[in-house]
Amino acid sequence: MAMSYLGRRLIQAAFVLWLAATLAFVAMKLTPGDPAQALLVASGATYEEIAERRARLGLDDPLLLQYMRYLLDLLRGNLGESWLHGRPVGRVVLEQLPPTAILATAATVVGVCLGLLLGVVAALRRSTWLDKAATTVAVLGLSTPTYWSGLVVILLFSLRLGWLPATGEGDLRHLVLPASVLGFALSGSVARLVRACVIEVMEESFVLAARARGLPAWRVIFVHVLRSALAPVSAVVALQFGFLLGGAVVTESVFARRGLGKLVVEAIMWRDLPVVQGVVVFGALVYTVVNLVADLVQAWLDPRLRENLT
Amino acid sequence: MVKRVLLFLILLSALSAGCGTRSSDVRLVYGLTLTPSGIDPHVHASSELGIPLTSVYDTLVFRDPETGEFVPGLAERWHVSQDGMVYTFHLRPDVTFHDGTSFDAEAVRFNLERVTSPDLESQKARFMLGPYEGTEVVDDDTVRVRLSEPYAPFLDALSQVYLGMASPAAVQKWGDEYQLHQVGTGPFVFAEYVPGDRLVLRRNPDYAWASPVYRHDTAQLEEIEFRFFTDPATRSPALETGGADVMGEIPPQDVARLEEDPDFRVKPVPIPGVSLMVFMNTARWPLDDARVRQALLYGTDRPAIISTVFRDTSPVAYGPLAAVTSGYEPEVRGTYPYDLAQAAALLDEAGWVDSDDDGVRDQGGQPLALDLYLMGWGYMPEVGQLLAAQWAELGVDVKSQVVSYPEALEVAGEGRHHLMPFNLSGSDPDILRKFFHSQAGFNWSKVDDGQLDAWLEEAARASDWAERTALYSRVQLYVMDRALVVPIRDYVNLNGTSDQVRGLRFDAQGWFPWLIDVEIEAR
Repeated sequence: MAMSYLGRRLIQAAFVLWLAATLAFVAMKLTPGDPAQALLVASGATYEEIAERRARLGLDDPLLLQYMRYLLDLLRGNLGESWLHGRPVGRVVLEQLPPTAILATAATVVGVCLGLLLGVVAALRRSTWLDKAATTVAVLGLSTPTYWSGLVVILLFSLRLGWLPATGEGDLRHLVLPASVLGFALSGSVARLVRACVIEVMEESFVLAARARGLPAWRVIFVHVLRSALAPVSAVVALQFGFLLGGAVVTESVFARRGLGKLVVEAIMWRDLPVVQGVVVFGALVYTVVNLVADLVQAWLDPRLRENLT
Repeated sequence: MVKRVLLFLILLSALSAGCGTRSSDVRLVYGLTLTPSGIDPHVHASSELGIPLTSVYDTLVFRDPETGEFVPGLAERWHVSQDGMVYTFHLRPDVTFHDGTSFDAEAVRFNLERVTSPDLESQKARFMLGPYEGTEVVDDDTVRVRLSEPYAPFLDALSQVYLGMASPAAVQKWGDEYQLHQVGTGPFVFAEYVPGDRLVLRRNPDYAWASPVYRHDTAQLEEIEFRFFTDPATRSPALETGGADVMGEIPPQDVARLEEDPDFRVKPVPIPGVSLMVFMNTARWPLDDARVRQALLYGTDRPAIISTVFRDTSPVAYGPLAAVTSGYEPEVRGTYPYDLAQAAALLDEAGWVDSDDDGVRDQGGQPLALDLYLMGWGYMPEVGQLLAAQWAELGVDVKSQVVSYPEALEVAGEGRHHLMPFNLSGSDPDILRKFFHSQAGFNWSKVDDGQLDAWLEEAARASDWAERTALYSRVQLYVMDRALVVPIRDYVNLNGTSDQVRGLRFDAQGWFPWLIDVEIEAR
């Protein structure tokens, strides 16, 4: 019986979500430290009061029971209540989603544009100093820690030159520095992939044919070469975008922005299991959807891949 | 024609630019340093939430930061029964909440019952009330609170934002979303809160019941916006670029630069509580030997740590309580001065010598190795690093690791540590009981002395301040005498402000500003 492509992907997605939820549960349970104690001991709660709270949070129940209860709740769409925030996890996560999505989108746009530029330049001027320069910039993007580059751009563009605000959300101007820093980090992998793809495609006969027909170089590049290179590049970009949607904690911290990154790091620090699980499951969901969309887009761009869909 | 239109437009924009700057006269941006996971003062424990909310709520009593005395707030006067178990508060009759409802004895009862209800799962406020038993409404303006045993820190608890009086109508209306729509009686109204992004307060025009501890009757600012700057490196840049007018917790290394700049000022505020001190596990060998512990104390060059890590912005701590805390015993000052020779002599006497000449002392084939667990905040890693270097000169091998707070609690609970630094703030010296009572959650020195327990318990019940002070004096001297901890420094909150900010002053907790008194000069 032939199952539809979509049906197969949905089953895969369900499996991925279950795996993510389970891994989050196991990882948190293996981490030392008791959430109830962490929340209450500094407030002067007695040993009995802490034990009472632990029981209330369901932490005294056998692990298997906690796990089953958690999975059943998840199936019903109930992410539970955050032990630290005291509010439903769904609401807490959704609040952090818009700023995360905005930063992820902006950073991806910057990263793709910069990466394309560097990659194309490096490929067309292969083995010249231009290629070396562009590749070096790409490698710098990959290896520079965003903590450092973030502070450097703040120092330069905010403190010294006063062109852009250092921290906060607000408007487009607040987005420029963090998106650039994150985008620069992204551009590295995009650039190297674009370079490799463009070089490979340039060798193909259809390109030679197009040039022989007298088509101008830029048209050949943009219309034919990049179109072919776009498929694998979009796969990588989709992965990066999905990753960024899970939050970029360092960038968020340096630029004083909200985001899922900071949310989940704080939840881990306080052993707030419901929020950690909520963010992980949410991240897995997003990743799965983004990947599915990326695969469909790739197939649309490159007909040779369409046979995978049947 | 075009020229005239242009001229008109230029004039218009010039005029509106002039109007634009006027509104910034009475508006201020305040930088917070931690994004609290929740800001309901009855529920959450973060001290950051108190910075804005202390001005949204009034408390029954206020505490004078200079004298430590309790002054009227929402209660005009109060009476404590002879046995210390019944508190009767006579409330001001003229107070209304920001939503227009009246503040009365029933509101007080509602608030205290809310805090203590198990459904609320309070993380702090509930425990501050100690042996709370119940509240009775005597009449509209009189309320009686009963405790199951005397509890000396009770009024101090009631003076804090965590026990601020919220509007029962608002709490019932908003349920578990109340923290996004808070309603108190204070000089500022809770206008807007976007979690993690900003919190906005607006002046309460109807405020007419200012506590005598305030210097003004009503708020001087129209609006205050709070923004979050969690990364320490971004705080002074934010101040310097005008992103904030006031910023808390400026890193010590940025202080000198700000002080030299005429456009900014640094306001250091010492915080009461226990000092940053390293707990020594007296139940684990080799620290069970008092001479080894004393050697570590003599071998600590505290002024060097204060200078290197804290750039001399903090005073050296000599005892477990910070010097500004009420009940501080000044006699601990000067105990255990830095004396490497004395430290070495003590270790020699305890049988620790470097027999194999590897730089580390040993005894019976075992090296003098100590496990130091550090938490990643409050400059503990930096202090730990310096201590390890200083004690290496003594021939002590310190193995450090950085752990998260919950893990540190687990390690300490199991007694797997030798050394662990910590500090905690609080305005009542009863905070010592959290650390040095044998059953205490933070008893990381693993002390178990019935006498010490008795002093701490008695001091928590005594109603006479002189009696309490005498008991806490004994506790502090005992802690240093038995070498239970290595005190390092008193916590100082380094606030930076632009020089246009005036009147900024902080309450008895040290953390929370009284925003009613803050003014900003026209730019």
